[in-house]
Amino acid sequence: MSLQGLISGSECALPANPLSQVLKHTEGDRSLQQDRVAGPSSSRLHHLPGTSSGVLEPDAALARSFFDAHPQGVFPGPSMPRFNIPPPEVSRLPDAGASTLQRSWADMNSIQDGVEHIRTEGAWAAEFGIRTQTGMAGPSIPQQARADFEQRSYTSNGLYGANQMGMYGVNPNYGSMYNTLPGYGLGSTPLMEQQDKGKGKSRESDFDAAFAEATASLSSLNVGEEKTIELSASVVEQIPGSEVGDAGSKQVDSDFRTYWDSLGTSDVAPPPEDLAKWEAEFNQLMSSRREDSDMLDYGESMQNAWESGLGDYGEEPRSEAVTRFDDEGLPIFSDFPFDQQNKYMGASTSSQSLLDQAKALLAQNGSLSEASLMIEAAIQKGELGEGGYEAWVLLGETRNMDEREETGMQALAEGVKRAQEVGAAPAGMLSLAISYTNESYDRAAHTMLLRWLQARFPSLAVPEETLQSIKNSAWDSHTRITDLFLEVARSQHAQGIVDPDVQIGLGVMFYTRGDFDRAKDCFEAALSMRPQDYLLWNRLGSCLSNGNKPEEALGAYREALSLRPTYTRAIYNVGVACLNIGAHQEAIEHFLSALAMQDSTGAEKSEQLWFTLRRAFIAMGRSDLAEQAKARPKVDVFRQAGFDF
Amino acid sequence: MADIKEPGFKTSDTLAALAQVFQSYSEQEKKAQIKKTNGIFELRVNNGGKEAVWTIDMKKEGTIYKGEAKPKPDVTILLSDDTFSQLAEGKIDGQKAFLTGKLKTKGNMMLATKLDGLLKTARTKAKL
Repeated sequence: MSLQGLISGSECALPANPLSQVLKHTEGDRSLQQDRVAGPSSSRLHHLPGTSSGVLEPDAALARSFFDAHPQGVFPGPSMPRFNIPPPEVSRLPDAGASTLQRSWADMNSIQDGVEHIRTEGAWAAEFGIRTQTGMAGPSIPQQARADFEQRSYTSNGLYGANQMGMYGVNPNYGSMYNTLPGYGLGSTPLMEQQDKGKGKSRESDFDAAFAEATASLSSLNVGEEKTIELSASVVEQIPGSEVGDAGSKQVDSDFRTYWDSLGTSDVAPPPEDLAKWEAEFNQLMSSRREDSDMLDYGESMQNAWESGLGDYGEEPRSEAVTRFDDEGLPIFSDFPFDQQNKYMGASTSSQSLLDQAKALLAQNGSLSEASLMIEAAIQKGELGEGGYEAWVLLGETRNMDEREETGMQALAEGVKRAQEVGAAPAGMLSLAISYTNESYDRAAHTMLLRWLQARFPSLAVPEETLQSIKNSAWDSHTRITDLFLEVARSQHAQGIVDPDVQIGLGVMFYTRGDFDRAKDCFEAALSMRPQDYLLWNRLGSCLSNGNKPEEALGAYREALSLRPTYTRAIYNVGVACLNIGAHQEAIEHFLSALAMQDSTGAEKSEQLWFTLRRAFIAMGRSDLAEQAKARPKVDVFRQAGFDF
Repeated sequence: MADIKEPGFKTSDTLAALAQVFQSYSEQEKKAQIKKTNGIFELRVNNGGKEAVWTIDMKKEGTIYKGEAKPKPDVTILLSDDTFSQLAEGKIDGQKAFLTGKLKTKGNMMLATKLDGLLKTARTKAKL
């Protein structure tokens, strides 16, 4: 990490492994240079004859180590000339590429020592192995040499191409080369030094010359014979045996042919008119691509605008809309989505009001889905109950119990808003805060709990920073509001009072922070005052379950369900606990039974339940059933798959 | 799922779970989640010796895979295995991790703040 920080800027930062950086930089270097001379040719490089004619990777590696170790290994020549000679054209590069290149260059030099070390150690043996084998290896050597040459040297694609053309163009020379330069083959020191210098020189000075020439005219194949000789010499020299038979030449010939063909189709050094044409084509291509992407962005932004604004009232406002928040972190809702086919919307048959019927149903442990439909109808008919908020709060709480959090939260938010308007502030606030917590709207939960505290204890002094903190982040507000709750709880404790609501609020604060042990303590304290409250049993269970104690949680859920058998949320939570234990079969059966309960009313079923059910199927390895569940069939379908609920 | 696992990384368990979650999304839910997140995260997780790379694509496919992002990520997030599990458990949030230097980013930093929300969905939580 620190090394990375040292040697690289942010945009070229890489994993901590310095060797991988070396690789990256060598690659980067090469491509830059090739790009400069020959355009985006790195991919083309791989199609060159040398590499494409099946040089095995071990072979290439051997060859590489052979040539790399050469200068500093055997001969006292300049070490690693291609790294140490700053190519003049680098400094001449006008554009931003130059700076990148130079930086890579600097990086390279700084790492080079290490690389050399590794190379010399490993490569020595390999090198000698190769040298003794070369006589037998025969024709494959030039290929290796060339492959190495292409991959490693400065000599860019273009230059190499030009030189090679020249070389083959003056083929007589080529043939004689092998025969007339036996000294190179022996690898005597002075010659090698000369060669090294020659290489360096050819790189530096011939680069631009050759490139210019190649660009100017392809037809003059006999350009730069000297360079040809130099290059050929360096190639020949690297074949110590210098006995390349006819086979070798032929292969080279066919290589040349493929190279020639690839050159014909490539942009390496086309004649000027082709160059112009190519440039026009390139520009056309680039601009068309740019247009494409512009179009794409435009389309996307239009889509975004549509969906985030206008689309909000669309088909599925609950699940589709991207939730937005006000500056205190409270989510902003659209209008409440009433059930479209509510059977209670028809003329009332009972003398009792719908709201009272619903309350009676809830008191008798009736179906939660049923009750929430009744309340919905009551609201739509204008029966809002006490203060105009009662029905909304009741609807929200009922929906939450029925594991339909999103609409429940929305109803609660509406109820709380109305309650505040009529000055009955604390009503529904705790439930709403809990609902926010379940949906991970931490900041909203904090805001709501603070409002609840203020409404419940008007005399409580709330520091200005605490009020401000909600506008900052959940991490700021969490500490401050928790402190406030603790303050209240302590003063109550001093008076010998345990206020379950304060304990619940404090528990929720701990819960949002993931401090499930303390949250559990709070809910236990609240339960000590209200042992018949099934909601509290369920909340205690959830603290245990999320605190990685699913087995203990099951006990708490059992209490909740024995007090309230139709408590859908508790059933769901039992399923979640089973899922976390790994009892997939049981988990699925619980989810299915919860869905079956909702099914009975014909009302819309819980998104969350379906989703978790699918997840359980997948965890079980039954993705076929998960797919089936996406269509939301009648839950009885799954009885055939062996689930009993 | 097995192709996500990487021995010695707690991260891989969370991500495997997250992959299950993604798999369980219906088309609609997946689209909603993609719209909400709209980013490709490349996670470079270090467990003290090794580094492993995962990609969470919540922009195009809605998938998770091991290895570098294809196409290139909107944000690359560098963090330790421990930080990742804290993030996933909600013990620390992305903003705090970033400010304390436990999490480094390259690319769209704002997107990185969406990561913890995404990770929270990995665990099926009981509800209050």
